[in-house]
Amino acid sequence: MSEVQLTINGQPVKARSEQSILEAAQAAGIDIPVLCYHPSVSAWGACRMCLVEVKGMRGLQTACTCPVNDGMEVQTETEAAVDVRKFVLELLFAERNHYCMFCQMSGDCELQDAAYRYGLDHFTYPRPYQKLGVDASRKFFIMDHNRCILCTRCVRGCSEITANHTLNVRDRGFDSMITADLNVSFGDSGCVECGTCLQLCPTGALIDARSAYGGREKDVVHAETTCMQCSVGCSLDVVTRYSRLLRVDGVWGSQPNDGLLCVDGRFTPLYEERKRVTAPMVRRDGKLVEVGWDEALSVAAGKLKEGKAQGLATCATTNETLDAFQKLFGKVSGEAGLLEPVAPELGYGTSANLADILDADFIVVAGAQPLDYQRVVGYFIYRAGDQGAKVAVISDTPNKLSERADMTASYAEADDVAKAAAEAKKVVLIYSVGIKGKVMAAFRELGDKLFYLALSPGRNEKGATAVGLKSTKSNGAPTKFYLLSEQVEDPSLLGELNGAFTIVQASYHSPLVEQADVVLPAPLWYERTGHVTDLEGTVKPLSEVLPMPEGVRDDAEVLTTLAEMV
Amino acid sequence: MGEKISVATQWLESCAGCHMSFLDIDERIVELLQKIELSSSPITDMKHPPEEGVDVCIVTGGIGNEEQVEEIKMLRERCRLLIAMGDCAVTGGICTMRNFFDREEVLRRGYIETESTVDGEIPVHEDLTPLTDQVSGIGDVVDVDIHLPGCPPSADAIWFVLTELLEGRIPKLEGNVLKYGSDGG
Repeated sequence: MSEVQLTINGQPVKARSEQSILEAAQAAGIDIPVLCYHPSVSAWGACRMCLVEVKGMRGLQTACTCPVNDGMEVQTETEAAVDVRKFVLELLFAERNHYCMFCQMSGDCELQDAAYRYGLDHFTYPRPYQKLGVDASRKFFIMDHNRCILCTRCVRGCSEITANHTLNVRDRGFDSMITADLNVSFGDSGCVECGTCLQLCPTGALIDARSAYGGREKDVVHAETTCMQCSVGCSLDVVTRYSRLLRVDGVWGSQPNDGLLCVDGRFTPLYEERKRVTAPMVRRDGKLVEVGWDEALSVAAGKLKEGKAQGLATCATTNETLDAFQKLFGKVSGEAGLLEPVAPELGYGTSANLADILDADFIVVAGAQPLDYQRVVGYFIYRAGDQGAKVAVISDTPNKLSERADMTASYAEADDVAKAAAEAKKVVLIYSVGIKGKVMAAFRELGDKLFYLALSPGRNEKGATAVGLKSTKSNGAPTKFYLLSEQVEDPSLLGELNGAFTIVQASYHSPLVEQADVVLPAPLWYERTGHVTDLEGTVKPLSEVLPMPEGVRDDAEVLTTLAEMV
Repeated sequence: MGEKISVATQWLESCAGCHMSFLDIDERIVELLQKIELSSSPITDMKHPPEEGVDVCIVTGGIGNEEQVEEIKMLRERCRLLIAMGDCAVTGGICTMRNFFDREEVLRRGYIETESTVDGEIPVHEDLTPLTDQVSGIGDVVDVDIHLPGCPPSADAIWFVLTELLEGRIPKLEGNVLKYGSDGG
């Protein structure tokens, strides 16, 4: 790795020797057109848009794959390069259905942009009008092969970012098609609907069912916030228009997830169908009736003052709210705790971040199911495995990761895994509430090379733990305060009420809300301000993407008001 | 001021939206009419250019039937400079959606199978012109001098092309006047 000096279009440019001409040009603010290139996946050199002339080299070079050299002289817009780009564009437009007037991507399409750049005002070649399939067998997004330019960004994203290896190219030449698994429909394939391919696609071939035709880039609003669907804490780019959620994208280069999202971060929350709680309610003559905030709060505060109370919180809220909850119960007679279990402290090793997974040569997954509950972590493990890391799964029950593991062991066989891990340079132990004491003890001897990642089921477990909330069980207190937010409650909660006076702070109607004596409406993930703590312990901000409905109040503010009243 | 430039317009397999966009040049049409003489057009009494020809013919819409094939050939013969205006004239446009099906399937779908149709039949009459196998842009039938894509092209793009021509230049489309589809970017 050394510094090299080259010229691009006569302009002196400094670059690092491992960079490509394209990367050096981009760093210097020189724009070379691309279609198949995307900075988050490996360079492929297939689309031929980035062809440039390099003095002394025969023919044109693909800037995305050609490494820089000291003294190199590059010209990016010579007549030869421009002619080839136009020719390539004309062939691309001729190959499939690239009629912009009935495409949802028109206006935001990279193929269209390239054609504008090179002044294509009509088609030169005849078009075959082949009728290719549209695959809508997945729930959240659609593949229209007619719009595909076979750039393979989706294929590379699927194998390099999610590492799920669903997508590939079948057949050759003109017959080439993007395919899933052994040429099955996307819905029948092993696709995990993470949507990485959708975000990478430069044309209208991959269509988000929710946001298609919903607004172009110039019409929409972007807001960056933190995902609250699990404990990982991925960075989100939430796209809205007219106060309506349109789409969620990952943020390339962000921590901890580097743009990778899962189905629960990207799609599921946009399809929420539960009925919203939009006004405070109290029970009168056996019926829940809507009341003003003052009345609801005074009924709740009155009960909390009366006698013993228990606070039971899910972690699906902000650090500020959890702190206010803890403080409220510091002032009333009773205790607050968490409804969700928390992964135990390991007591040794170094706390890992997601990047450590990619850096490790041995990964142990014990008592955890990241592919079900913290999917992004699961995909990072896939990636590490692809890079050559050994993956061992310790579990007495079926685990989706076992299929891609090098080693599977029962809890009783944990010592065998530890023995194998002893050979490695860097070990990451990923565990959750299912881990057993024997397994925890097994890796102690690995010393400095052991890194661990504790995956708790609670969404903002790290934030809850930081304010001192611990997992607890329902007790016999005559007043119970449930901080649910948007979490779907465990049905067993209802059986534990035992006639207690029940205060519920929740975003959606649910069986528990229907049983409650006081209901305090809470905001949703995209209406919140405040912070959450991600899996790595970093405190990350939430931004108010859309305003709360009238009648809903920030839960931290409500809890603070209640604390003043008791 | 010298003799006015004669301009004819025509719409073929088209929705008329491009002509609407042409009218969206608004008051600039007054300035334009000082410099050009509008010959035939679908919105004037004269439907075809005179046999002696016109300087410029602006055609919107693609070619979707035999009559349009004859029409475009005649228009080509009767003008010095032919402008294909709008995505349909340039590429066949939205009408090319039928190219993914064969002609009989398209007619059956349109005249018999549509949900609102009762006892439909495919009309056959000697006065009815047959559909071409596929819809194409006019450039697939005759030579075109200037392509102005867009669905429709904006009034500003149309104005740009006309004023460039009036200045004696062949317009080079780029930037805001080169857009595909409706509001394409």
